[in-house]
Amino acid sequence: MRDNGILFHAKYAYMPNSLGYCGPDENGKIREELEQGTAAEALVGILEKFEAAYPFLRLIARSTGKKVFDYEVPEAYWIGSSLLEHVPVPEFYQFSHRELKGRDPREVREFFRGLDGRAVPHHTFYVLGTFAAPVLADGPSLSNEAQKKVVESMDCCRISWGRVRHVGKRELEVEARPLELKDGRLRLAPPRVKKARYNPAISPFRTIRAGDIVSLHWNYACDLLTKRQEANISKYTSTDIGLVNRFLSGRSH
Amino acid sequence: MCIARVGKVVGLSDGMARVEFFDGGCLGGVDLGVAGGKVGSYVEVFGNLALSVLSASEVRNRRRIWSEVRKAAAEATHL
Repeated sequence: MRDNGILFHAKYAYMPNSLGYCGPDENGKIREELEQGTAAEALVGILEKFEAAYPFLRLIARSTGKKVFDYEVPEAYWIGSSLLEHVPVPEFYQFSHRELKGRDPREVREFFRGLDGRAVPHHTFYVLGTFAAPVLADGPSLSNEAQKKVVESMDCCRISWGRVRHVGKRELEVEARPLELKDGRLRLAPPRVKKARYNPAISPFRTIRAGDIVSLHWNYACDLLTKRQEANISKYTSTDIGLVNRFLSGRSH
Repeated sequence: MCIARVGKVVGLSDGMARVEFFDGGCLGGVDLGVAGGKVGSYVEVFGNLALSVLSASEVRNRRRIWSEVRKAAAEATHL
């Protein structure tokens, strides 16, 4: 079970690492391990150096009595599952102060205060929350162009999902619901077809076909989702958006 | 997974910035279109987007937090 969790986590960590946004400069090694379907100790060592993802896994693991790379732990973090409900909000709050590199404590305090005691250590929640206070609520008055950039960035960075419409050699056409900001509130827009890169050498994509549901991170297809995972990512994304809108709503009064 | 990182704008090219981060990393192609900023500014970056320009006191505060958190993370890794 532990090896699957390592590879699962690596699938989602790969693209932001490739873009230079997080983790050590070891992208070739991560890709190699994913293509070979191995989960060597060297891969664990690389994944432990991700400055935000790994601390989040530690938080979920210690709150739920799991090991960091038990499959359920990265699955809860990236996709969402009932495991997240077992992480006490006060512990998440303390974690956000003590273990997340560089976060401004005032910002963290204000953000949690605006959530009425609800928060989940889900990747999408972290992404939307990071933008919520400094940019959407208290940031400069944004032009339409700037607002579009912010929302696009949030949309690429969260884990989204969609149905494959067409399979190309290295690119998929995926029907997915993008994030949008409407009247100062976040929501998922109606589905649109977008292009996403994928690696056909990685196990689930060797047999990918139209109709499959894939998860996406920075316009890159990470994995195929099961029905259960699709239901969970939909549920927890909706929770995350609702919580961040609650914060935004409190700030606009 | 991304993380909000703080760093100094050290160069500009075609409207995109090169930023050197406190953690020693460096990233080109940072978009300053939302936050503003110029060469010498300290910015908070998420993905490739600068979210805000930090004042000198905020920069000092972030450096202090960064070093405390790095120490705590090192201790946690060795537990």
